[in-house]
Amino acid sequence: MSPLLLGAEQTRETFAGLDAWQIVLWYGLIALSVAIFGYGVARLALKYRRGRTRGPVGRPLERAVRAARIVATHAWIRRREPLSGLAHLLVFYGFVVLFIGTAILAFQDDFAEPVLGFDFWRGWFYLGYSLFLDVFGAALVVGLTIFAVKRGLLRPFRLSYWRPAEPAPALADEAKVYRAGDWAFLGSLFFLALTGFLLEAFRIAADDPDFEVWAPFGWLAGQGFMGIGFEGAAADDARLATWWVHGVFALFWVSSIPFTKAVHMLTGPAGVAVTDRRAGSVLQPLPADARSEDVGYATIDALSPKHLLDLDACTKCGKCHAACPATATGYPLSPRDVVLDLREVAEGAMGNRASLGIPPRFPDRAEILGTIKPETLWSCMQCMACVEICPVGIEHVPIINQMRRALIERGEMDGQLQQTLETIYTSGNSFGEAKRKRARWARDLDFDVKDARKEAAEILWFVGDYASFDPRNQRATRALASILRACGVDFGILHDGERTAGNDVRRAGEEGLWTSLAEENVATISGCRFDRILTSDPHSYNTLKNEYPQLGGTWTVLHHSELLIELLESGRLALRKGLGYRVTYHDPCTLGRYNGVYDEPRRLLDAVGCELVEMPRNRDNSFCCGAGGGRIWMQELQAEGARRPSESRIDEAVALGALDYFVVACPKDVTMYEDAIKTSGHQGEIELRELSELVLEALGPAAAPPPAREAAAL
Amino acid sequence: MKIVVCVKQVASLGDEVEFTSDERDVDPDFLDYALNEWDSYATEEALRLRESSGDGEVVVATVGDEDAEEAMRRALAMGADRGIRVWGDGLAGADPITVARALAEVVRDESPDLVLAGVQSSDAVQAATGTALAELLGLPRVAVVTKIELGDGTATVHRELEGGLLDVVEVDVPCVLTIQTGINEPRYATLRAIKQAEQKPIEEREPGDLGAPAARVRRMFVPPRGEGAEMLDGEPAAIAQRIKEIVEERLR
Repeated sequence: MSPLLLGAEQTRETFAGLDAWQIVLWYGLIALSVAIFGYGVARLALKYRRGRTRGPVGRPLERAVRAARIVATHAWIRRREPLSGLAHLLVFYGFVVLFIGTAILAFQDDFAEPVLGFDFWRGWFYLGYSLFLDVFGAALVVGLTIFAVKRGLLRPFRLSYWRPAEPAPALADEAKVYRAGDWAFLGSLFFLALTGFLLEAFRIAADDPDFEVWAPFGWLAGQGFMGIGFEGAAADDARLATWWVHGVFALFWVSSIPFTKAVHMLTGPAGVAVTDRRAGSVLQPLPADARSEDVGYATIDALSPKHLLDLDACTKCGKCHAACPATATGYPLSPRDVVLDLREVAEGAMGNRASLGIPPRFPDRAEILGTIKPETLWSCMQCMACVEICPVGIEHVPIINQMRRALIERGEMDGQLQQTLETIYTSGNSFGEAKRKRARWARDLDFDVKDARKEAAEILWFVGDYASFDPRNQRATRALASILRACGVDFGILHDGERTAGNDVRRAGEEGLWTSLAEENVATISGCRFDRILTSDPHSYNTLKNEYPQLGGTWTVLHHSELLIELLESGRLALRKGLGYRVTYHDPCTLGRYNGVYDEPRRLLDAVGCELVEMPRNRDNSFCCGAGGGRIWMQELQAEGARRPSESRIDEAVALGALDYFVVACPKDVTMYEDAIKTSGHQGEIELRELSELVLEALGPAAAPPPAREAAAL
Repeated sequence: MKIVVCVKQVASLGDEVEFTSDERDVDPDFLDYALNEWDSYATEEALRLRESSGDGEVVVATVGDEDAEEAMRRALAMGADRGIRVWGDGLAGADPITVARALAEVVRDESPDLVLAGVQSSDAVQAATGTALAELLGLPRVAVVTKIELGDGTATVHRELEGGLLDVVEVDVPCVLTIQTGINEPRYATLRAIKQAEQKPIEEREPGDLGAPAARVRRMFVPPRGEGAEMLDGEPAAIAQRIKEIVEERLR
């Protein structure tokens, strides 16, 4: 039959073969299913409301639009995982279209036809509807198949439940439970899709309406059944049985959403909507009137509602597990496990599991500092690799930071860290040096550096601890000073008035010390006359730029790579020499992931005539050197015999082959990687240069002699 | 139980130093200040004794000007209950005996069950104040204590001797004990706690009759460089070889 001749007779009966009482029973089951679903969702909402810490969540409309865009495009889900991203896209749109199809049918059967007398589910509309649902149903099956292959055959590391540290005894069997849950979720969706197609096929096989060719996959299957002689009344009986199986299972499945992995259909988009992309670079201050027991996250109800929601949003996709430098080098931390363990505590203390009377896995219902081990929390480098890649916007880094605050409040910390914090408190710098030595690096320059506290200057240069005190870093600091001088930049420093900026003090969880340091710096800087602040230290850069405004210090802050690009473009930085080196560049976490500065250092390398060879882990996937979050002040925690993060990074660079320089743009990187080049066994194969040193060299002999290659001579 | 802990704000020196114009002290511009390390152990020990006894009071006492309150506040932030600061004529740059006289008045008024002090201060390193205090008060004293067990009217204390030896003594309380580093791990005073410690009372008092100074500084100077040092130059292997020879020579 030609489609053009279609009339209005193409449709089907939703409740074909059902008695009236069965239809009543069906609606009763729907009501029950929706009630259970509603109960579960309400319990979740109540759980999140119990979170005590308040965080800023503004601009709801903007957030909703952003979340809709990110979910619709799968932008976050597809990142770094194109195949899984595609699979999820197929499942997602298959599911959404089938859900909309069901909603349309319900509208027709329960409202449009009985109430309005308007029966639209026939003819052209019906055929289009059939085609759409059939094709998207098939997409769902394809997506699920990819997931099954990935999980069952390809088995990427991120999907393993391997833990870098011994799990708490209560969690020893957790991997099995999680794995069973994952497969049950996948299997249940498979079962739904399969029974749906079977239902369609049996219906077609029962009376073979030729217009059903518009549901191509169902039609093919139906023809198949007819081909083996399964048709007519027998097929119709099978259809009715399958109708009940499919229908009841679908209702059961819907009611189970708030209690299973399927909850991410609700919590995932919600998490994307409420997440703050700057949550890691702008930590929230403690309430001024906080009592000691209210400092940070020591108990599960101390979490903010947003962070409690995060715990339920996790799908165990393991992207954070794969990105975390601590996990990769055998530190006793996996960001995914932190989230999952916290979820167990939350469920046991105040979630659906608690309300159903299921005993919690952890004996202490609300206490989280014992469940999440201190060494796990101290393993974190606060590098933001996990937050950056999380497809549902979980804020692992701020959560871990809050737990660290609670540990610090109790005085539970690594002895070396305690000593460093005390040193910073007494001397104002992490090196324990006398304040007056802060500007000592400038003595070897052939010009004087202004005291910005006494004279106005265009640029106020906040030098930072490592760039000021560490002898290797002082060379890079002097290089930058020479460049600024050569460009005629009017700059000054704070001399002995500068204190540790406090970025990592805050990330280690010593909020009070950060406040005290920041207040001192804000007061000193506020007394100076300048246009903009410059720093070569991305850690200082982050807290000065993003966090000092919390204390009233709002200024334009530049990283030296940003200023140098500006000078280059305005013609003030006149490079005379193409260097011709083959180099790689390491993105500092606090510059890249924290602040999105990826291009300026690369453009500078290009400008000085270097060939940049990227490491596999670059830009937003950069691999932390291991110093961040105050880790540079703590004892090593990596597994016995494992490579340190910095050594693993040098291995990565050396594997690129025949590089002249490993280029960094962060003083802590200078320290970490100078060390790692020696300890990784690659001495002589690669050398380190700070960006400024290459720029100075490209200025030519007029500005300064090229830096000696003393590292190679040693 | 009531414990008085004597604490001191000490000065620390960088690698540069200049003296005041009268050459009798270091120019304060070259100094940083902190709570004396030994005193933080003494404070911690007092807090632990208070905690294990269930109740009581830890009073920190210091001799110093207003700036010295910062060190005291650190002890208060660790958990001490209140502070007493003595300052007045004759105490600037005072010798240990004079300082002990000022502290003895405080201890007499407080009549505590136990008096703790650090073995020594890291700037003056005379290790005299605690001992002098005990003498002035007529109390028994044990120096360089590495363990305290309180009994009934007595305390069993470990006293560190040279050469890794340990002396276990029983002493009547009240007594004065000077505390050695390593006796415990002093707790961290968060900046929040330090800020909150500003609410804790610090009583200021003037000293009574301090008597004549026991000692005074006549002049401070950098000692002239000694003779006879052998400077080792050259390749690391050659230097190592020379060090080996020197060690062997001395061992002979």
